[in-house]
Amino acid sequence: MDIEDPSFWRAGAISTTLVMLVVLAFLSIDSMRVISVGGANVPQYDVINHQIGYTYNWSRRADVPVIGGPEPLFGKTVTAAEATALMRTGKLVIQSRACMDCHTIFGNGAYYGPDLTKSWLDPAWQQIWMPMTGKATREDAMVEFLMHPDKYPTWTRAMPNLQLTQDEARATVAYLKWLSSVDTNGFPANFGQSGKQP
Amino acid sequence: MTASALIETAALLGLFVLAGGGYGSLYSVGRLWARPALIRAGSVCWIAAFALALTIALRTPLDIGWKLLILASALVYAVIPPLIWRYLERLHHEQEIRR
Amino acid sequence: MYRSQKLSLRYYTAAVALFGVMIVFGLLSALYYLYPSLLFNVFNFNMSKILHIDTLVIWLLMGFLGAVYWYLPKELGREVEGMWLAELMFWVFCAAVVVVAAVFVFVQYGAANEFSMWFINQGRKYVEAPRWAAIGIVVVMLVFAYNVIATCIKARKMTGIMWVLVLDLIPLLAVYLDAFPAVTNMSVDLYWWWWLVHMWVESTWEVLIGCVMALVLMDVMGTSRRIVETWLYIEVMLVLGAGILGLGHHYFWIGTPQYWLSIGGFFSALEPLPLLGMVVHAIYDAGTHRMKTNNQPAFWWITAEAFGNFIGAGIWGFMMTLPQINLFSHGTQWTVSHGHFAFYGAYVCGVIAVLYVAKQQVSGADVLGGRAWKWGFGLLNFGMVGMVMGLLLAGMAQAFYGRAMGGSTLMAFTTASENPWFVSGMYARMLFGVVFAAGYVVLVYDLLTSPRRVPALQAQPEPA
Repeated sequence: MDIEDPSFWRAGAISTTLVMLVVLAFLSIDSMRVISVGGANVPQYDVINHQIGYTYNWSRRADVPVIGGPEPLFGKTVTAAEATALMRTGKLVIQSRACMDCHTIFGNGAYYGPDLTKSWLDPAWQQIWMPMTGKATREDAMVEFLMHPDKYPTWTRAMPNLQLTQDEARATVAYLKWLSSVDTNGFPANFGQSGKQP
Repeated sequence: MTASALIETAALLGLFVLAGGGYGSLYSVGRLWARPALIRAGSVCWIAAFALALTIALRTPLDIGWKLLILASALVYAVIPPLIWRYLERLHHEQEIRR
Repeated sequence: MYRSQKLSLRYYTAAVALFGVMIVFGLLSALYYLYPSLLFNVFNFNMSKILHIDTLVIWLLMGFLGAVYWYLPKELGREVEGMWLAELMFWVFCAAVVVVAAVFVFVQYGAANEFSMWFINQGRKYVEAPRWAAIGIVVVMLVFAYNVIATCIKARKMTGIMWVLVLDLIPLLAVYLDAFPAVTNMSVDLYWWWWLVHMWVESTWEVLIGCVMALVLMDVMGTSRRIVETWLYIEVMLVLGAGILGLGHHYFWIGTPQYWLSIGGFFSALEPLPLLGMVVHAIYDAGTHRMKTNNQPAFWWITAEAFGNFIGAGIWGFMMTLPQINLFSHGTQWTVSHGHFAFYGAYVCGVIAVLYVAKQQVSGADVLGGRAWKWGFGLLNFGMVGMVMGLLLAGMAQAFYGRAMGGSTLMAFTTASENPWFVSGMYARMLFGVVFAAGYVVLVYDLLTSPRRVPALQAQPEPA
């Protein structure tokens, strides 16, 4: 073994890279199984017909989403196909308005606005925006806010008006509700439980 | 992890790598200028890195696996600079001969 | 001077100009944190941020392209094949950048449909450029690959560095194909998006700049090819050995299985070790070649790269990479701090070094020195260190008050963002951002002014 010989390290570089790529390929196949819609960590889109919670799981040592009984969004149960169409639009809203260049989702994006991973579960909808918008439900308050965010600022860093139509706003709310059902290994921790530290 | 443990642990982790880097730099400059005092200062840095690794192992709420990994990497830090230095000298020496 | 070196100079010029644009939008983005009502509903934070990070990617890419076009004929001993196409692509690239920037400034966003994805804004961080422009980048990179490979074939010559470069072009292009789809499932979307972002930034670009640095070391410091190639292979082995599965540190919280916590944490915890080796190497090289170099600025920027990489990627990365810490630090200004330092250390310093190499040859100066470059070097480094310290302070305040104590809700986010530690961190970032910008101005001034003719010995004969 001549470690001064470049060909020794060339062989090392090629074999290390190949081994890592093969491992990554296997892990990616397995990950896709888990994160595809309906996989272990990512519920079907029609989960929006259900109540979604987020509680600490002692065996996982992390907060996990809990899917509860029926709680149709906007009071209407949707079919799987309708849910998929809603999600498609919701995702396109998030991309076309470049939401993730102010906000983060799963902690990815920009850091000017709050993280949206569990925003569906944010107590601010009940505590601040429902009274502010005069709407009776969380989802209606969300739609009203998303369509006219500049009318309902909560602090100095307000959200601009990105001209969402009502359909776009409703699809975005549906998307955010589904998003909150994804198992993210406990991110964000202690959501909505200020002061509690496991 | 509590909020204060979070900041303390992160700071210890950063300082640990910083001390490792200080050791590598001082050792190398010491060898370059043939100044034993700098090499000794480098060793002090490594001792600091090891002490930080021990503190991380004993005082922080990190999982045991991470603690072991950090202790092991503290030992690896010790050997990297001399090993690389010797390798570089051999490599360049061989080049001189080839020329 | 070869024709491809003239093209290279054009790429460098465009890169430096976009570096400036990046700084302008960086300063503007920083300003929104201090004056949130700034340009509200006219030109919002997200558009400024997009222009900041997209110009970052483009100017570095242009710097790399320039560097390869610069060294390709030197390395292979002949003019680059298909130069007319390469020259055409340069103008296509520039035109596309201008059009996309204009659309971002004046149109900004569209409705939730495919038209917006194709022509306005794709809204995926770093790859916001609409699909037509992404196709343009693919075409530019394909032509670039053709230039490199065809020249190798024509020259009937293949050095180790060229092999690494050619092989690196495959993943460089392949992962970019992820710039096109709009996957509905966010977990799957982000899974492949990280292949693009991580594999570009932490793998293929590292290898690309490794090749460039290998060529620079031979050129500026006269290191032998055998040594340089040995180190390049070692670097590729370490970068890809740790980097490919280091991808795992982006898969902690996006819905992916739990095993990524261990894999990602393990491989990124190993990352400081090779970086420490690079620091030792840089000091060794500095010592043995210091006397031989006649390009002080390039030499110092290369040295800064080794240290910047260690501090930015090594120390800053290690602080926040273990899952238990990352659960709280992820998605705060802490990440921003690490991102700034790591990008600067790994790439910006390297590209600036290459700019000085070109300056020396173009000006025909035997020795490159003077005072201006030192000011540029000092201000840019000082500005960057100040910015990342400010951001670190702000990020730690967010992790402490917003995430660990507050539980990441809107109220927690607001409270943390109004915390004095956060606010002072943001002011510090702004201040040092201005210092950095001043450094940029000096850098440009120094690059543009011709060097003093210190002992003019004999002009290097240049190939026609």
